[in-house]
Amino acid sequence: MNITVCAKQIPDPANEITYDKGLISRPEEQVLDDTDRYGIEIALQLKEKYDGEVTVISMGPAGTQKGLQQALQMGADKTLYVDDDSLKGANSLMTASILSELAKTTDADIVIFGTESTDGYTGTVPQQVSRFLKLDCISYIKAIEISENVILTRQTLEGSERVTMPEKCVLSVTAGGVEPRYPNFKDIMAAKQKPIEKVELSSLNMNASQNLEFLDIEKLENSKNGETIIDEGEAYQVVIEKLKELKVI
Amino acid sequence: MKTLIIGEVTDSKLSSGTLEIINKANDLGLDFGVVTVGSEDSPAVGSSTFQQTYIKRSSESLQFSNVADKISQIIQEQNISLVLAPSTYQSRDLVSFLSVDLASSPVSNVINFEIQDSSVITTNSINGGESIYKTKITSSHSLLLIRPKSFDPIDIELNNEYETIEVENSSLEIFDIFKEEKSGPQLEDSKIVISAGRGMVEKDNLSLVEDLANKLNAAIGGTRAIVDAGWMPYSQQVGQTGKTVKPDVYIACGISGATQHQVGMKDSKFIIAINKDEEAPIFQLADLGIVGDTLSVIPKINENI
Repeated sequence: MNITVCAKQIPDPANEITYDKGLISRPEEQVLDDTDRYGIEIALQLKEKYDGEVTVISMGPAGTQKGLQQALQMGADKTLYVDDDSLKGANSLMTASILSELAKTTDADIVIFGTESTDGYTGTVPQQVSRFLKLDCISYIKAIEISENVILTRQTLEGSERVTMPEKCVLSVTAGGVEPRYPNFKDIMAAKQKPIEKVELSSLNMNASQNLEFLDIEKLENSKNGETIIDEGEAYQVVIEKLKELKVI
Repeated sequence: MKTLIIGEVTDSKLSSGTLEIINKANDLGLDFGVVTVGSEDSPAVGSSTFQQTYIKRSSESLQFSNVADKISQIIQEQNISLVLAPSTYQSRDLVSFLSVDLASSPVSNVINFEIQDSSVITTNSINGGESIYKTKITSSHSLLLIRPKSFDPIDIELNNEYETIEVENSSLEIFDIFKEEKSGPQLEDSKIVISAGRGMVEKDNLSLVEDLANKLNAAIGGTRAIVDAGWMPYSQQVGQTGKTVKPDVYIACGISGATQHQVGMKDSKFIIAINKDEEAPIFQLADLGIVGDTLSVIPKINENI
């Protein structure tokens, strides 16, 4: 089974995100989006059951490749990435088009995504890729049970439902569904020997174009300068008074 | 501008997210119709004020791709140029599929939009609502995924008079459908919401929040961290990947206030935050901040109301 997982390098979420002309400023060193760890974990579990290869695909400035290394450290076998200046500010459809083309080069049976990246949050790329590849899309997976078949539990608005995984499909995985593994020292060392290959944009068919023009970005002043009280045992009274004032009680 | 709203059904009627978008479309004077996708038999989604088509999907087959085929066809036949949908699981799937068919990247997290010289200009919430971002759509089709609570819902009579279309099942059979029980005030429409975060330390302590919620007739929410930890079902998650709430009073208990959480609650009218860490970002949003141990403050509130 060829399992392809999409992973994104993002600026370390511990730091504040900054923008330049509407684009996220990306430092040389970016990290693996935590959201992608869930997809990688599911890919590795499928590999353990069915054998096969786990390929990580990625689009964006490669920089020091730290995030790509982190994906390999978890246990993926190799990485293919596209890094091209002309893709700066690519919309979700362009991103999905490139990732679909990369998935084709891996001859993927199963293509796995997180539901949405932690920096962009568009949340549409997995479904778009499935449409480009004409594969079934099973979105918002929150649990996987691997036995005779693979049973996937989908999150729905009202609760959940289950589906048997077909032989070929695209999956999007929500956080919390599985427990991503932590690499040990051996895994970290082994990852250094694994191939990370750059794919030239010119070798891929781009089936989308830019249709979103950046106009303006404005940081909101969220600070309300509200009243702050240090609790020395009596602050509950202030809360109760306030709730009375607000006619809650 | 010829517009199609993709609607949804909750509790056998049009969802509040759909009614919010209809209200905005009315305000802008858009020429719109509605296509609502649901699995229920004849829900109240029709109205005398707009054209409604109901696509009844099967609850036993994962067939959103077939539903999208049908909507694509309607968009082509009716020369639709603007597609509006609430930012929910179902519509995110549908709009993503449509975006490939129409070769037009959608805009996600839209909180407002306008038409200027026949172009659609969107205002999106980014970075957990810390910033707003304006985009002009330059393609012939514009696809918008709109965050819930961005507009007020329209107040209209709903009926069962509309055309119903069924779509073919796919090969993906759905089983073990589980519906979470709804009890007590619901997050989306409660005037008071009490939310819990990691500062509650352990699941058993949530009973403190439940006691307070009972006393105030409040709905209970939680952060992604505690939902991921299994303390609460996903339906109670407030934030970027969960629900957006806008109550009169929001009480954040032991919540640090990561941007992902803020986007789901920052428009609440009055915010009370209780947290040990005085540097916690939640205090920036709070109208009343209590720097203290949630586990000692809440029981005292409970005892004294």
